[in-house]
Amino acid sequence: MNVTLCNDDGLYRAGGELSAKWRISRVPLDEVQSVEVSVLWHTEGKGDEDLHVHHFQRFAEHQLRRAGLADQQVLQCVLPATPLSYHGRLIRLQWCVRLRLFLADGREIVAEQPFHLVSNEMARPHSVSSDRAAMLLPKSGGAVRGKVLENVPAS
Amino acid sequence: MPRFPKPWSKKRGKRILGHALAGEAGELTFYAGLFLIGVFGFSLVLINEVAPESVSQVPTDAISTGLGTWIFGILSLASMLTGGVTLLYRLARIGASSERRSAIAKMAGSIDMIGPPSDDAQALPSVPKGSAITESPGERLTYRLAAEKAKSGIAGPATLALLWSSAWLVLLAVVVSGFWNGQPRWYLAALLVPFAMISVWSFRFFLNQFRQFAGIGPTIVEISSHPLVPGGQYDLFISQSGRLRLKRLTVLLTCEEETFYQQGTDVRVDRHEAIRQVICKERNVAVDPQAPWEQQLRIDLPENVMHSFVGTHNAIRWKVVVSGESQPWPSFCRSFPVVVHPPDLSLKRSPQ
Repeated sequence: MNVTLCNDDGLYRAGGELSAKWRISRVPLDEVQSVEVSVLWHTEGKGDEDLHVHHFQRFAEHQLRRAGLADQQVLQCVLPATPLSYHGRLIRLQWCVRLRLFLADGREIVAEQPFHLVSNEMARPHSVSSDRAAMLLPKSGGAVRGKVLENVPAS
Repeated sequence: MPRFPKPWSKKRGKRILGHALAGEAGELTFYAGLFLIGVFGFSLVLINEVAPESVSQVPTDAISTGLGTWIFGILSLASMLTGGVTLLYRLARIGASSERRSAIAKMAGSIDMIGPPSDDAQALPSVPKGSAITESPGERLTYRLAAEKAKSGIAGPATLALLWSSAWLVLLAVVVSGFWNGQPRWYLAALLVPFAMISVWSFRFFLNQFRQFAGIGPTIVEISSHPLVPGGQYDLFISQSGRLRLKRLTVLLTCEEETFYQQGTDVRVDRHEAIRQVICKERNVAVDPQAPWEQQLRIDLPENVMHSFVGTHNAIRWKVVVSGESQPWPSFCRSFPVVVHPPDLSLKRSPQ
């Protein structure tokens, strides 16, 4: 399973368009029950998690057969103006494209590709290197490839 | 020895004790039971109203009066609705991913019948609207900011002092009447002493709160424009009235991270001041009722700062804080929330 973003640096302007490609390989179609693709933000840190889905698509088995599971699929959506990505001491606000695969035996596999939603001001190259930007965003840039985060039995 | 399955699960941090499904099964059983009890009760009411003679076995004595029937019927209906709706809601959540649940909730929120989202909410999701802030026009500047509600008012201490003093006086009257009639109640007379001590303590507590409330006059904060935008410059007018000598008076602009989290069965809150900008700091300030302390200040909001944000468990709040250390009155700290929008996207508002 992999998710690839259209921007290599993982920076997206608020209100701009997000385009991503996703693909599931080496999993027989018979073993797949459904796939959920979502663009969402969630919080990390000391407090309980807040999660809000901005864009959501669910592919049932018959839709996956029609689309072809091994083929690369495209996800497009217009991002909202807020909330912007944030990296504070107690709260971290993280945007990501999440791919959740439901297998017939009840297992779930999740792949996540984080990205940063920034203001137009910060999207300019000179602004990102400013001191304040370090508080807003983690220093490491967004990875291009998604990775499998968990493999849990369905509850 | 086989263990009896518990119809609940316990959450400790991110760890769940017991089977995850046990809690859900327990909830489902409870709401199904509530629904069925409601159905049974409502059936009794209907039988009692429609054909009380035809079903002789049904004990309808308890609900035979008109008022009793209505109350019983309403309670049964409420039980039926609560149980049924919650049962369906819980059933819909089983087996759904957190993203799907959020998407369903978002879809439900967009239905017009429930209430269409306002323009602000659509344009800037998760950013507080702050419409209450712009409701009050200012005298010197465009808007007068509303103070955050004080955590401790004087209504509670006043009620406590009044009720406790009244109870003590009633007790005193009973004791005095006993002595008057030649039937002294010694155990009640002995209770007068501890009751009087509590009464004195509650009255002193009320006086202390009242001094804090009345001695320090109102703080007025007005701002030239709202909402704020990173990189923007704003005029700020502060007025502090009362009769006091302040050792120190400070005006700050702060950005605070606020998180709520569960620890066992307690909900705890943690706060961290991410940004603290001193706008004004003065020593030995004299405030007189005829001449309140007034200052016109300026806020330079830094660029690339986070906008205001409100989630279910997390928030980022901006506020203007006016604090003073005074004698003989207690020190005070008053907060005036403001909303910061992201740059380039701020909604234009005109003063009302």
